[in-house]
Amino acid sequence: MIDVKELRKTYGDLVAVNNVSFRAEAGAIFGLLGPNGAGKTTALSCISGLLRPDAGHVQVLGHDVVSDGRASREKLGVVPQELALYEDLSARENLRYWGAAYGLRGKRLEDRVQAVLELIDLHDRAKEAVKRFSGGMKRRLNFGCALVHEPQALLLDEPTVGVDPQSRVALLEMVKEQARRGTCVLYTTHYMEEAESLCDQLAIIDHGKIIAAGTLAELRAKMGERDLLRLTGRFDPAKVRQALSRLDGVEIVQVEAAAVTLAIPEASRMLPSALQLLAATGAELHETTLTQPNLESLFIKLTGKELRE
Amino acid sequence: MRFVWWTALKDFQRQRRSPADLALWFGMPLLIGTLLVLSMGGRSGPRPQAQLLVADQDDSALSRFLLTGLSQDASGSFIRAEQVELEAGRKRLQKGKASALLVIPAGFSDAVLAEKPCTLRLVTNPAQRILPGIVEESLRIFADAVFYLHRVVGDELRRFAGGPAPGLNTFPDAQIAGFSVSMNRLVDRVTSYLNPLAIELVTTTDEEEKEDQSPQQSYALLFLPGLLFMSLLFMSQGLSEDLWRERSQKTLRRVVISPGSVTQFLAGKALYGVVLMACTTLLALTIGFFYFELPASVLPLAVAWSTFSGTLLLLIMMTLQLHVSSQRAGNIVSMSIIFPLMMVGGSFFPFEAMPDWMAKIGGYTPNGWAVQQLKAILSQKVQPQSLGLAFSGMLVVGGILFLSCARRLRRGFAQG
Repeated sequence: MIDVKELRKTYGDLVAVNNVSFRAEAGAIFGLLGPNGAGKTTALSCISGLLRPDAGHVQVLGHDVVSDGRASREKLGVVPQELALYEDLSARENLRYWGAAYGLRGKRLEDRVQAVLELIDLHDRAKEAVKRFSGGMKRRLNFGCALVHEPQALLLDEPTVGVDPQSRVALLEMVKEQARRGTCVLYTTHYMEEAESLCDQLAIIDHGKIIAAGTLAELRAKMGERDLLRLTGRFDPAKVRQALSRLDGVEIVQVEAAAVTLAIPEASRMLPSALQLLAATGAELHETTLTQPNLESLFIKLTGKELRE
Repeated sequence: MRFVWWTALKDFQRQRRSPADLALWFGMPLLIGTLLVLSMGGRSGPRPQAQLLVADQDDSALSRFLLTGLSQDASGSFIRAEQVELEAGRKRLQKGKASALLVIPAGFSDAVLAEKPCTLRLVTNPAQRILPGIVEESLRIFADAVFYLHRVVGDELRRFAGGPAPGLNTFPDAQIAGFSVSMNRLVDRVTSYLNPLAIELVTTTDEEEKEDQSPQQSYALLFLPGLLFMSLLFMSQGLSEDLWRERSQKTLRRVVISPGSVTQFLAGKALYGVVLMACTTLLALTIGFFYFELPASVLPLAVAWSTFSGTLLLLIMMTLQLHVSSQRAGNIVSMSIIFPLMMVGGSFFPFEAMPDWMAKIGGYTPNGWAVQQLKAILSQKVQPQSLGLAFSGMLVVGGILFLSCARRLRRGFAQG
């Protein structure tokens, strides 16, 4: 279990993580969803012990990461966002070295190395130098290096960035398998589909703050049964607000000179009326996008911007 | 502690897969050493010779004796004397085609025989340093010899300097016979003083005698320590740069977040450096042992000294790398430091071929100091007490540098 309480980390004037609290349970996958620069990696760095928090507490299976750092690091496996491998060494040598860094030795080390090689499906290329591997193979090995010592808690920082679809599916399946074995998994991503398909619990983070948290169902409920209508073009914000306020059940999420975002129930019925009202304000429409309720629409609803911005 | 061994092993495995660095570390000193030895004619090649031009304006028996003496005595292997006209000699010297021009003024012979002041003028080639020095030294010896000759056979010399009696073309037989008898008595008298000089030569120690008889060994002492430390400096620079590689490939971060401590990781990297340097030193000095006839008894101490001081150089370079802003900056700074260090530290040119002031500065550089100590070890002139003090000092400085590196690695460098 990973317990984070009021975690805060600043870099000069920039508040990278601001009073973040959440709890990831054993045997479940906790997703930290947010755009690039939201503070996900900084939060993970504080949990892994790479960075020292300015305030707050982080416990990994009951061990404080600051005061009892070594014990917490022994329980943790970390899959960093960027590859952290020795390209000159073979897959087996990499796994051996990182296993040794976690105190494994002798037969246990060799057994674990072999088991991980089979798990990540690199046993037939175990002796080959990593620099000859494809991107997907390197990603799998990067993941495997965090598993050699059989960690009880696993941190994954956007492990599928830049991975081909086939390797991505394989990686996600391995993550699920770890959770099924009882490992506490903390997974950061800015891919909403990944978060939806993988995570049991989610926290949406933006500008270092958690803006929504819960199960996928709980988060969807926050959107209600409303679709998200996003319009781009040229608008008069004051006139648009006034005109659209006449429509029952429509929530104005965001109005700008170039874009309007609405949360709208029964979109197929309400859409013509909404467009008529907008046309009456003299608006010029360029593009209309209708999105079913999902994490992306929730994120837009909460922050007024898309996840990938 | 096992993580120390694993880290050292890991670095060895990486090095084995990328041998280009090793080739550079060993190849550069070998190449430079070979060029240096070849430029001096090789081990059995001709010695460098001073080209001495002599403008003999006296044209006397004594001036001719001086000219012949300079070419034929013990210095003859270093000096090639050639008689020239004054102007022609000046022109050749200006063109840099000689080491020095000696002007023997008219009246030189008379002045010497009458024991009057006389000036021999020596014009040296400023482009050369060592060879004109040899000529100058030989002339000093000659001046000293004239002084002592006067002390011993001054009267006879002065008598002959006056020439035959008026009206005679030659010296009378009686005068020549008298001179011969007095010379014979003189030789008898001074034999007891000259013999001890021969005995004094015998009293030199075996080692000194061996040293005198072994030009190969002086070659080894001249070049081998400097070239060895050139290799160790290249190694220090390359191994310390590996910290940046560890950082850029994010493996350093992985070490920080693992239970294997950063201190053990750094100790492992230093251990690999120690092993590599010990092997290099052993190889170089073993070659020196077989090829240059270095005494085998000094080998263990020489290997220990070179490895120890090489490790200190590694820690200095690591400290440097950990305090610059980027790998590129680290590369530029370390290169701009190690090349001047090699220059003044006796790696490119032996201290013996440097001007005194430069050799003095070189002795204060870490590598130059280590080279001088190694030379002292190899020539068995080292003081055990001062060596013990040097080892202790290096241990303390090395310990401080190591802890400061570990601290910097943990607090910031790994997070970049």
